[in-house]
Amino acid sequence: MPAPAARLSFSQGTLVLTGARPELVKQFFPDGPWIWDRRVDAWRCDAIWHDRVCRRLDEAGVAIDDEVPQWQPVRWPHVDIHPLRDEQQQAVAAWMKTMRGCVVMPTGTGKTEVALEIMRRTAGSTLIVAPVRDLMYQWQRRILAGLGYDAGIIGDRVYRVKPVSVTTYDSACIHVGKLGNQFGLIVFDECHHLPGPIRRDAARMSAAPMRLGLTATPERSDGRHVDLKTLIGPIVYELPISAVKGRTLADYEVTRIAVHLSDEERAKYDGYSRQVRAYMAERRKDDPRFSWEDLCSSTGRSPEARAAMAAYYAKKSIEDRAEDKLRVLEDLFRLHVGEPCLVFAGSNAMARDVSRRFLIPCLLSHCRKQERAEILCGLQEGVYPALVANRVLDEGVDLPEVKVAVVIGGLASSRQAKQRLGRILRRSGNARARLYEIVTADTGDVQRSRRRRASDAYEGTRHRRRA
Amino acid sequence: MLTRQLAIAEYDFRRGRLLPDRLTRGAHGGYVDYAERMLSVYRIGVGRTRRELHRAVRHVFADEEGCPTRRIDAFCKLLDDASDFDGDRKGRAAKLRQKVFRLAAPHHPLVERADRLFERQRSAMQSDIAAQLGRSWQQIEQELFSDVIEFHRLVKFDGYDSPQRLLARYNVAQVQAALFGAVHMTVWASSDFKTILRYAKLARLMHTITRDGLSGYRLRLDGPASVLRQTRRYGAAMARFLPALVACRQWRMHALVEPRRGAPPLSLDLTSADGLNSHLPPPEDFDSQVEQAFAEKWGTDRREGWLLERETEILHQGQKVFLPDFVFRHDDGRKVLLEIVGFWTPEYLQAKLQTLHVFRDRRILLAISQQASEPFAQLGHEVVRYKSALSVKDVLARLHDYGEEKKGDKSN
Repeated sequence: MPAPAARLSFSQGTLVLTGARPELVKQFFPDGPWIWDRRVDAWRCDAIWHDRVCRRLDEAGVAIDDEVPQWQPVRWPHVDIHPLRDEQQQAVAAWMKTMRGCVVMPTGTGKTEVALEIMRRTAGSTLIVAPVRDLMYQWQRRILAGLGYDAGIIGDRVYRVKPVSVTTYDSACIHVGKLGNQFGLIVFDECHHLPGPIRRDAARMSAAPMRLGLTATPERSDGRHVDLKTLIGPIVYELPISAVKGRTLADYEVTRIAVHLSDEERAKYDGYSRQVRAYMAERRKDDPRFSWEDLCSSTGRSPEARAAMAAYYAKKSIEDRAEDKLRVLEDLFRLHVGEPCLVFAGSNAMARDVSRRFLIPCLLSHCRKQERAEILCGLQEGVYPALVANRVLDEGVDLPEVKVAVVIGGLASSRQAKQRLGRILRRSGNARARLYEIVTADTGDVQRSRRRRASDAYEGTRHRRRA
Repeated sequence: MLTRQLAIAEYDFRRGRLLPDRLTRGAHGGYVDYAERMLSVYRIGVGRTRRELHRAVRHVFADEEGCPTRRIDAFCKLLDDASDFDGDRKGRAAKLRQKVFRLAAPHHPLVERADRLFERQRSAMQSDIAAQLGRSWQQIEQELFSDVIEFHRLVKFDGYDSPQRLLARYNVAQVQAALFGAVHMTVWASSDFKTILRYAKLARLMHTITRDGLSGYRLRLDGPASVLRQTRRYGAAMARFLPALVACRQWRMHALVEPRRGAPPLSLDLTSADGLNSHLPPPEDFDSQVEQAFAEKWGTDRREGWLLERETEILHQGQKVFLPDFVFRHDDGRKVLLEIVGFWTPEYLQAKLQTLHVFRDRRILLAISQQASEPFAQLGHEVVRYKSALSVKDVLARLHDYGEEKKGDKSN
């Protein structure tokens, strides 16, 4: 009797090979990836291997019944993509050679158009993975505008799968077991997010043969960016930020303004500092190596530790929400009256403080899609003079042309700084873009600002002391 | 469920164990009182904001020496889980913000003190807007961000009918939170297999079933990719599954947990004797009246050498499992399975047919309702028909036939 044909199927993000004799697997796949799974009496591997496994079997002349690919050709209803600039064309051409790889371009240089052009050419089921919900919706709008296609949405409590869909990293990771064989092309926007220990499942449990990664900043502080090569592909095109400064992007200038705590704030601040220091000093008498982590873990054992922790947070909150920052902000608003202005706060509470003080809209995570759209649109049309945001605008959210941005607090990582800066560098007009950074003098704020500026984008900062 | 950030556990790297936070009567006697006070914060808290409620809960623990902040936050989460908050679905706050910001926009920037260039003072703008909207600025400011999660107001609380319930839920929730980092789980059980397997399947876990002693089974639970690498991908599924296990009887559980990346994995062990209480009810003993009536009629004694057991045998092939309703064990070592097929829906009968087809080479006696017309006879199993109740006499007669015809067959 002839042996039953080998069958390749998709099972929750993995490939399952049944009906294949062990000798066959040993002969053609001596170095993996197949693992024998006795729970189902079959061979199993990650779905990312799909095209390599098929190629290998094909070369060996082994016929298999491949049930995995559920992706299909897609016809674009109405293509309307701007003519690509040289560097965008080079990026597309470089990617098309291998169909697997990352394109590195600074924020504001039109990565989205590169992806849309690639989608237009490959014309098949595509999944776009974006870091946050806003960006997911933004991709949806861009696909509609550029290709005339109303893409499905997977995430933000919506589960509408279509041959072309947009999703977030978290949703992609959760649903990859169901969706991993539905798309032939998978696009990872801001792909430096992908190599997280769990998140990477979105790539390795997908069978998509074509993969595109987009980012301005591939490096990760944990060094895991090297994994992008296996998860997506090698860097096929890279455009450094210095190559476009003053040409594609607006020229820009960074000004740093130090503010001081008021006497009252300073008194409280120093009080809290003393409390934390005294507690640490007391504990270090017993244990010289007593650390911040130890403090965190000992909050359960003593009310004093809890109090020290509370003092630390109170101290941070004073830095973050220093009254003087609001006064400087008033001055900057006066200075740039008539120019749309973006303010980045270090916390939701501070963002709301700014919003209440100046009665300008604030974009926070609780804002629903409709309100966000209204606010962004309002800024673009000049209905709103300014807006304040905490972290929602960290990455890639398309903003109207803004020439003035003010950072009044935030995380220390340099990637965040680069992206925030990139936001105001949109190409347009002749006016120089300005970034202001307001930090509280003689506090931890200064430390964070220093780290923030370790990024090359901040070269040439001008310091300004406020009288 | 708790979030990963609210997990509290002791990592004993020396002995390789993970001990989730557990409140016990002995060491935490005062917590019954705390729990009562937390519950009353929520019971009388309708109309208060989440932030106010959480502050009040924190206040309950103000003088407690040994309570980590995280434990207090975990209680808040469990209390919130049992509450309805006004999340402002209709977007009242968003509409108000739009009105306020649009009214203020033409006067940007609002300044503290007016001067010749900028005359729009913040306070003047506020009273102006208040007048236009016909309410006080204080009211407006209060509602402006009422859709922010910590400002949501409590609408209804009807969870945990006793402080003990809340504490029991906390203890289970901490084990669940520890399981988020689990890479696999093994359950040893000697009863309630059906419930265990059903919930494992609901949580989309895969199983590997092996016999454990005479009357027990060992069930290893993990997910598809677990065979490829040690992964925490299925930890959340194991956490979801846990309360169902806790509601069962006579089990022991071992999980391997990676508390954080790079740290050596730790063992998390638990048994039904540890005294955790699930918020889920214990498994039902019988699925139907017919089964219950039959078991009661048969009784607990041997009849003609046959002893009746309830769902003690798991038939499995790959990821398909089947637990026949009853097992007959004879003195001489013979064993016959009994499955009662009632009349439910055509889909039910079809599914049952398929299952029985997979296990057609096992010795299963089928008791089939006379209303069921599907061709069960073709499967080759012995069949006994029943109308409204299954007769002990009819079943004994069939068991007798088994003895005569198939002596020596000791499969299963």
